[in-house]
Amino acid sequence: MTDGDACSACDALARARSGDAAAFTTLVRRHQRAVYSLALRMLSDRGKAEDLAQEVFIRLHGKLALVQSETHLLFWLRQVTSRLAIDRLRRETRYEQLPLPQDLPLAAESSSGDPLLQQQLRGLIAQLPAAARAVVLLRYQEDLDPSEIAQVLEMPVNTVKSHLKRSLERLRERLTGEAAVPAPRTDDAPL
Amino acid sequence: MSDDLEKQLREALRHVDPPPGFAARVSARTQSEQRHRWLAARHRWVPATLAASVLLSLLVAYGWQLRHEREQGLAARQQLIEALRLTGEKLDLAYRGVQDASKPAVPPDTGDT
Repeated sequence: MTDGDACSACDALARARSGDAAAFTTLVRRHQRAVYSLALRMLSDRGKAEDLAQEVFIRLHGKLALVQSETHLLFWLRQVTSRLAIDRLRRETRYEQLPLPQDLPLAAESSSGDPLLQQQLRGLIAQLPAAARAVVLLRYQEDLDPSEIAQVLEMPVNTVKSHLKRSLERLRERLTGEAAVPAPRTDDAPL
Repeated sequence: MSDDLEKQLREALRHVDPPPGFAARVSARTQSEQRHRWLAARHRWVPATLAASVLLSLLVAYGWQLRHEREQGLAARQQLIEALRLTGEKLDLAYRGVQDASKPAVPPDTGDT
């Protein structure tokens, strides 16, 4: 973020805190991709992800007075999104094992890399336990380091590192295992 | 492999757009909730006033009922007293009648002594 962008961000935050609805909408537009993406990859369901993302911003609207800066805002959004998503996953009696059914159009935004491999990775991440999933997403989607992840999720740094290590090992095993025994694909096979 | 996997993860986890109109929907919900909060704050005195009015009405009704019962009781007592008085008078008359009827005839005094 450039200095100009930082100024603009702080200005929108200050105006939103004083009740400016348009400024709050600016904040929503600025952060909606991050919040929605985190919710989507946690819950693996677009409808639920939108519900959760809306809930996060509704809560933000009520807590604007507590947000002190743009940095604090980012921290708050990631923390609340992760926490709400983990709570919802734990309340559900079953976990979505399949990746997003219409994942390919979204993946088309990626300009490089193997889209099929990326889709496979997203599917494997969706099979991780809730806390490990949140750690992986905060690390590789939000680009946070382990100490920052520990603060967001309120867990010890060593636990974060342990989740990361085990999750990467699991992903590697699954990728290697699936690459070694390619299954025949049909139109109905989950991607 | 690790670096490659991490690179692939970053690529796979790029941010995506929410459905169209997301910000507008959030804005509509926040404004709606703000209106609800404003109405609730403005009218928070209504339930308390209603409760106080109901309580006052109950107290007034109870007081009126007590007074009414007391007046009825007093009237009943007055009637009873009157009835007893009348009964007493009649009994008295009857008693005097019985007494007069049972007295033997007293002869006139002859003066022999």
